[in-house]
Amino acid sequence: MIFDIIKRSLSSPRVLISVEDLFTNAEGSRMPDVDAMSLTASIARRVVDSCGICALAMDDVDERMVLSLDYGKCIGCGHCIEAGEGAFFIAGRILCGVDRQSLVRRWDVESGTEIVSDEVAMTDDANQIRSIVGRALNIRQVDGGSCNGCEAEIGALSNPYYDLERFGIHFVASPKHADMLLVTGPITRNMAEAVKRTYEATPSPKLVVAVGACGCSGGIFAQSPEVVGGVDSVIPVDTFIPGCPPTAAMLLTGILQTLRTNRISPLRRN
Amino acid sequence: MTTNPTTRDAEGSAEGALRLLHNGNARLVSIFGSVDENGAKRVHYIADVNREYRCINVPVIGALPSATLISPAAAWHERELHDQYGIDIDGHPDLRPLVSHPADYRFLQVQGVGVCEVPVGPVHAGIIEPGHFRFSVMGDSVLHLEPRLFYTHKGTETLFEGSEITDGPMLAESVSGDNCFAHAVAYCQSVENAFGISVPPRGRSIRLVGLEIERMMAHIGDLGALCGDVGCAVPAAYTARIKESLLQASTRFFGTRYWRGIAMPGGVRRDISAENARDLSSVIAQAAADFADMTHIILDTPSVLNRFEGTGVLSTKVARDLGVVGPVARASGVRIDVRHDHPYGHYRNITVETPHFQQGDVLCRARMRIEETRISARLIQETLHGLAAGIISATVPRDGSAEGFSAVESPRGELLYWIRIRNGLIVRCHIKSPSFQNWPSLPFAVAGNISADFPLINKSFNLSYSGCDR
Repeated sequence: MIFDIIKRSLSSPRVLISVEDLFTNAEGSRMPDVDAMSLTASIARRVVDSCGICALAMDDVDERMVLSLDYGKCIGCGHCIEAGEGAFFIAGRILCGVDRQSLVRRWDVESGTEIVSDEVAMTDDANQIRSIVGRALNIRQVDGGSCNGCEAEIGALSNPYYDLERFGIHFVASPKHADMLLVTGPITRNMAEAVKRTYEATPSPKLVVAVGACGCSGGIFAQSPEVVGGVDSVIPVDTFIPGCPPTAAMLLTGILQTLRTNRISPLRRN
Repeated sequence: MTTNPTTRDAEGSAEGALRLLHNGNARLVSIFGSVDENGAKRVHYIADVNREYRCINVPVIGALPSATLISPAAAWHERELHDQYGIDIDGHPDLRPLVSHPADYRFLQVQGVGVCEVPVGPVHAGIIEPGHFRFSVMGDSVLHLEPRLFYTHKGTETLFEGSEITDGPMLAESVSGDNCFAHAVAYCQSVENAFGISVPPRGRSIRLVGLEIERMMAHIGDLGALCGDVGCAVPAAYTARIKESLLQASTRFFGTRYWRGIAMPGGVRRDISAENARDLSSVIAQAAADFADMTHIILDTPSVLNRFEGTGVLSTKVARDLGVVGPVARASGVRIDVRHDHPYGHYRNITVETPHFQQGDVLCRARMRIEETRISARLIQETLHGLAAGIISATVPRDGSAEGFSAVESPRGELLYWIRIRNGLIVRCHIKSPSFQNWPSLPFAVAGNISADFPLINKSFNLSYSGCDR
């Protein structure tokens, strides 16, 4: 029997995806991106109307028409892509593991340009990513009331294609062993207390990453009286990973990006 | 109509509903409440009698007689009704809150010398959903298990209310995230049934492909997780790899890993080219062959069999009494499958085998997944091979008032959506998930086993928390 396994292992091609190919890759997330040059006022109005969850909005800022897209709410339903006449297309890359504000992108509709406020670096500097590799990180995953979609993708992180352990990142069984809490939402009324207590049980310094549209903003459940809201409505959150659900590549991006901007290491523990 | 043929919803009395359930061939499907435009409450009973869905709705005047004493499968349905509609249920043996979580909730206590209570959850050790389990143990042996769920209760059914028909799939897909296509299709079929719309053959075929790929992914993942639970790491990693190949194929051909955003009332939103259909078919064939190879290794490993065999037995009697559905029921000798008993969509044009086992242990539930994965692969390949030409969706009216329901065999079993539409808006949507029906049966399979086998038994049921809690 053991020979069968060895034979199979030797004859199977390697499937591990390189970090360069994974970082910021949003394939399969169904989330939209915008071709700013093709944007017109009528398209902007139509896509805002088509959005079932108000992730798209139109504002008047200093007499400029500004279209905003909040990835923290978007569930990738694709209605804007159908209504957007080519100005909206499926995103190839999305930066995850950033603060809540950085999940919102804005475009000046008339000039057809993106309004970039701070330096939202969409870089995939392989060297910088590699510098993270080798640092041990223990993650405790907490489900604050999700539909299990995010959990399915978090589970996929351990499969031979993504192999999160290659970065020295492990999932642990107790918050007391964790450096990072990966929390999915929406936080339901019935889970709010348990999420708070899990946070308190995690030793400092600790990082909290909110996962999925529901974790970022409450998502499609934001209006439900049974739901408290996104993860940050019950515990402090460092970074956010959008998506419904975020793909394994987006989760990996988010975790690595969080480590890049929030340096936490066992050395700081003393 | 493209879906399971159903009798019309008939008004009746609670006594009539109880008489229907008293029939030895009746299997309770669901009991739920609704409020009509005048604010009057109604309770709806759905049962499966000799492979025919029978519905009775009853106006609520005062207390209702409990159906639980006739059919124990009704216990949780009536507790939910009591919780959410404040309807009194006469003679129900246990009306403690089910959905709400009051601080003074009392667990059933097992008393005696040496009996200990072990609380577990809601936050568990793995990457899984939250729920609380209260074990009463004597040494290693579990005497009693009480699951306390609804931690992920999100009020999903009420969120449907006031939504447009076209927004429904979005909500349905987030009821149980790993069975999202089954939920979306069940929702869409209930709308189609309500309006009497027929989905074009090509749309029906693509739905079947999605439903069966979802089943393959679920079953392959489940078997891998079972191996992981008994320390058999190589098959666990290998099955995860096969599952990922299906997720990537879904992305390549349909742009979505979990088939979200594909189903819509009237049909589907994405077509597949002839070339891609051939490619997808070969991916499925490869996945099925790899999985079959791996299952031989799994079933030849003595340490796996030693843990699986005779563990967590759910008897046929308990499975029948509690109205258990899906692979769990079929592993316990209850041969029910919506695809076979109430065929819908393309299942009406294709033969679905319904394998079943008698012993009801973890091994039988594992073997159910193996058999069904093989059958799913065949169904997908046959369907892709004979893919009908034509359009993929029919038009659905934007307004109108109607009622309808539909059942789908999701990877976990019979999933039913019941919907009421008024002037184009959803005013009530009831979701009966297979997990809601199956959860109460888990304690029967766990009692008498050692507590260390609980994760394995629980995994072999693989019930959805969010699907149950909604």
